[in-house]
Amino acid sequence: MTPLIELDGVTKTLKGQQEPRTILSGVDLTVQAGQSVAVLGRSGSGKSTLLSIVGLFDRPDGGAYRIDGQDISRIPERKAAALRSAEFGFVFQRFFLLKHLSAAQNVAMALVNGQGWLPRRQRRAKVMAALEQVGIAHLAKHRPAKLSGGEQQRVAVARALVRQPRILLADEPTGALDTETGNLVIDVLHEATRQGRALILVTHDWDHARKMGRVLRLEDGTLHDVDEYEHAPAEVAA
Amino acid sequence: MIRLSGRLRSALIIGGQGIRARKTRTLLSIVSLFLGVLAVVVVQAGAEAANQAALADIELQVGKDGTRMMYVSPEKAGAMAAALETLKGRSDAVGVIGTSATIGEPGVNPVNPGGAPFDRQAGGPDYYYGGGPGAEMICDERGCRPVDKAQQAEQTPNGQAIELRLSALTGDVLPFRPYRMKSGRWLDFTKVPSLSPGIVVNLEAAKGFARYQVPAEMRIYGVSTNATPRIIGVVDDGVPMPTAYTRVDELLNWVPASSLDMMGGVETLLAPDAYAVEQTLRARLVGLGVPAEQLRADPVNARKAIEEQLRLVRLVFLGIAGLVLLIGVAGILNVGLATVGERVEEFALRRAVGTPRTLLAGIVLAETLLTGLFTAAAAIGVASLALKVVGSILSGRTPIPLDMEFPWQAGVAGIVAGLVAGLLGGLIPAIRAARIPIATVMRA
Repeated sequence: MTPLIELDGVTKTLKGQQEPRTILSGVDLTVQAGQSVAVLGRSGSGKSTLLSIVGLFDRPDGGAYRIDGQDISRIPERKAAALRSAEFGFVFQRFFLLKHLSAAQNVAMALVNGQGWLPRRQRRAKVMAALEQVGIAHLAKHRPAKLSGGEQQRVAVARALVRQPRILLADEPTGALDTETGNLVIDVLHEATRQGRALILVTHDWDHARKMGRVLRLEDGTLHDVDEYEHAPAEVAA
Repeated sequence: MIRLSGRLRSALIIGGQGIRARKTRTLLSIVSLFLGVLAVVVVQAGAEAANQAALADIELQVGKDGTRMMYVSPEKAGAMAAALETLKGRSDAVGVIGTSATIGEPGVNPVNPGGAPFDRQAGGPDYYYGGGPGAEMICDERGCRPVDKAQQAEQTPNGQAIELRLSALTGDVLPFRPYRMKSGRWLDFTKVPSLSPGIVVNLEAAKGFARYQVPAEMRIYGVSTNATPRIIGVVDDGVPMPTAYTRVDELLNWVPASSLDMMGGVETLLAPDAYAVEQTLRARLVGLGVPAEQLRADPVNARKAIEEQLRLVRLVFLGIAGLVLLIGVAGILNVGLATVGERVEEFALRRAVGTPRTLLAGIVLAETLLTGLFTAAAAIGVASLALKVVGSILSGRTPIPLDMEFPWQAGVAGIVAGLVAGLLGGLIPAIRAARIPIATVMRA
């Protein structure tokens, strides 16, 4: 069976003002549809860089990146934008809600992106369905300032789900939330995998990670499977 | 096509949201742009007004664009009579003959010797009618000779009489020269000619008749018998000298055929397609011995001439307006750059959810273009209102007709100026927005 996501020896070196720094030095990763993967790792280990490459924000320096067996390592930005719109949903640590828009309009942002056009009524139906899915349809008209942190993150999750993507990428989505609210958001994301979506969750939180089907640790630029019994939470959180 | 339409709609929706979210900044952009767009609108409106005013005067005094003018000289005996007979009763051609007449007490010096305007010194119209000093002639049994006005004035007492230019028409001249009726009615050419000539006077003549109480007795130059005119209407003909219009056939009831050839020729106005009457007239006149090369029908081409005259002035003023507009563009550019700087995360996020770079640029351009359009609407509204107010305040005080409609060309110029300013002011911010790295959201 062709994996949904396949990274094969992916490398990435960041070239800033300082010395070039190799962040990923041969990452191999395979994710099937409906599978959830947690990526743990120390700060600066390259988790976000990995997610940037998987989410087509950035391109790998070496190796291959395939979706449905198609190599997309070098696709042009125009096609990458279309793929991001069609196949990916993103949830970030900060919610990135636009304060001048209502919750519904923030969710609709993913539909009004120049990748096809939906009539207003259909757009509204999709937005309300996504908000319903995360349990905050009643807050559709509220602006972010009137929502709690958890509610804002659920709006962000609804924005990620509204196009019904096959891949969800979450970069420390609970980092700005308390434990209880964080658990709620993770449950919502995990629930999405039951509908056949793949989920890659970057987190520092072992409790959240172990809810995923597979737990990986990014260390020295490569991914390693993590056994539940081989790590201590304090180590991960460092 | 659907994709393009979707992007356009998306840009407009998001641009509209951006404008609503930053009302104060949008207002500041409009304020910075307003004077520039207003300057363009005003220059264009002013140019159109000047154009229309000049054209209106020329239409009244010379003829509408396309009208062909032919002059029939009185040099050949019978030429004028033949021309008047050919043109009589036609709607596609009109002959005009002119003479001077004095209405009022007989045997007195008129209040405006030489047919001068009433608020100016005497002697003015000689230049206006092209005669020049000494052009007025007197003819009697001793022959024709220049009128010695000084001697004439000394010999005759001053009295209540008004001297005016009398234009006699073979038909309705209004299709060629659209005089504006001010009161009464225009000459009716369908009725039997009256022995009491009906005359329509212009505004200057009407002013004289209102100011001076003169008896209704008309002495026509070169005619020994005085007629009793009836003033039936007042027109604005754009002529500053007192003038009256009458039917040729009513005038000829009083003018002997022998005096006709002393009247200075027939000015013939031909419709653009009146070739048949032109050929007939030409044939008859050539038959009478008028040289064919003298019978030229020259078309009136006033609009082109005026536009050429005004083009340079308009360009100079548009250049100045353009500079003012550039200052506005700098303002909108400044606001645009600051706004994009503040919206880095928003644009990065939009790219993350699949918005193409071109649409991000389109969003910024949509905002500045909409701002430009709002500014144009405001400038057009203000200019239109100002035109109405100025028109109502200065109405009748200037020779330029200020009751004109707001020219559509000025509106178009305002919209184009607003869009160009929006484009120029939004281009650099749009490029910056499109270049915002998507990873900004990951590093935040």
